[in-house]
Amino acid sequence: MAARAIYAPLVCTAALLLAFVVSPSAGLSLDTVREFLTREEDTIVFSLIERARYPLNRPAYDPIHLGDGAGPGRRLNASFAELFIRESEAVQSKAGRYQSLQEIPFFAYRVPFTLAPPYNFTRELYPAAAFVNVNDAIWSMYFNELLPLLAKNGDDGNYAVTVDSDLACLQVLSRRINYGRYVAEVKFRGDQQTYTSLIQAKDRDSLMKLLTSEAQEDVVKRRIEKKATVFGQSITSDGPIKTGVNNSSGTNFKVDPSVVYKLYDQWVIPLTKQVEVEYLLHRLD
Amino acid sequence: MDAAGGEQLSLAAVRDALVRLEDSVVFALIERARHPRNAPAYAPAAGGGGGAGWRSLVEFFVREAEALNAKAGHYQKPEDVPFFPQDLPSPLFPTKSSPKVLHPSASLVTVNDAIWKMYFDGLLPLFTVDGDDGSYAETVALDFACLQVLSRRIHIGKYVAEDSNSLMDLLTFKAVEEKVKKRVEKKARTFGQNVTLEDSAGKQQSTAGDSECKLDPTVLSKLYDQWVMPLTKDVEVEYLLRRLG
Repeated sequence: MAARAIYAPLVCTAALLLAFVVSPSAGLSLDTVREFLTREEDTIVFSLIERARYPLNRPAYDPIHLGDGAGPGRRLNASFAELFIRESEAVQSKAGRYQSLQEIPFFAYRVPFTLAPPYNFTRELYPAAAFVNVNDAIWSMYFNELLPLLAKNGDDGNYAVTVDSDLACLQVLSRRINYGRYVAEVKFRGDQQTYTSLIQAKDRDSLMKLLTSEAQEDVVKRRIEKKATVFGQSITSDGPIKTGVNNSSGTNFKVDPSVVYKLYDQWVIPLTKQVEVEYLLHRLD
Repeated sequence: MDAAGGEQLSLAAVRDALVRLEDSVVFALIERARHPRNAPAYAPAAGGGGGAGWRSLVEFFVREAEALNAKAGHYQKPEDVPFFPQDLPSPLFPTKSSPKVLHPSASLVTVNDAIWKMYFDGLLPLFTVDGDDGSYAETVALDFACLQVLSRRIHIGKYVAEDSNSLMDLLTFKAVEEKVKKRVEKKARTFGQNVTLEDSAGKQQSTAGDSECKLDPTVLSKLYDQWVMPLTKDVEVEYLLRRLG
């Protein structure tokens, strides 16, 4: 799972080409970064709950077979999900979505212009490192590891809404994990000397150690597990709130809190740190 | 709505769907409330949108997103109704056909114009703060999510109207409505709360001050009381008129 720095032109707006001045933003601090990540937890839980409403719907993820069924037909390399997500991101791109660099799309586009009203975004990231991301790993993790844990077996044929909710999950996971760039930027500014020497030595292990706080990570994991329990409960207008936590069969969960814990423990937190390290390694370019 | 075997769709299944949709409505509004009003996203496009036929960024986005949905075979069910139905492309892939549980004219029933107006003119000012953070694309995408879930919820009225028992339910409607309003308010309070590890697990957290809530719970009860439930009834009436006509 290697992080990849994308230097390909993602969005061709003039503003991006001019942004080579790193303005020390008053807005970016350890507090604002923490606040953002905490708020993302709610979005992640909501989007997982919404995806879990639909069954696995595996045909949406298989390569598409075109043809009349009589002959061999023609097999595309892409699945319904990939085509839908590509097109969806293209529309969002035209609407101006990936201009601020806070979000990085899964597929690259050549957008000659955007229809969005202009806005003066503060460039907080170091330009040479701003495109660092692990979207390939997130894509693979989401479809191969998370989805089977999240959705029940079955096929209800509602592929459009299913993949729409997949995209919502992918977008928030990507935004949260690639936010490691902002985390790294804040940490770098907070202790430039230490980081600079480690970066110059390309000491990945020491950087990783410096960025890791197991106590903090434990808090985050336990909190999102709790959020999954709280937001996933069945609410009636009267009577006690059923959390389903004590349900032995576990079938009352809108989303299994232990799956959400595992998501953060095995993927979100490690991938975010990968982004942080990769960003730092480009920070002095 | 999927009729699990059999042609008749039970009112109980419809009720379940409506209750589950309440969660989706609350989630969608909470997520939209994360951004301020972002008025430029709704302003008329400078230069008339280059003759592309759209008036604002949100209209452009919804039209494009619905065209993609249509190609993906999305608008096959009576509760999935587009906001811009003219000239929608046909599905590119064969889609699983669902059993027809409603009268054919059901597809003609739509109150989406009213929903659109209600959402932008009535609802948005109630639950978003003034301001502009420049994230117009994310904002209109979140608006579309709200519009879709509200539209789905309201157009399920077609199924309610089809049920022959629903006339009886009209007599108890007031009590049902009160229950719904209380429940969505409770959901807004629960899902919009600030969850931290300091609170003891299992403690009823709905007593947390509404000021900490990401979404004002009274907005939800007003939304359902003034718009969702009346519009659903409009759908039921229109469906019945077409069905008999």
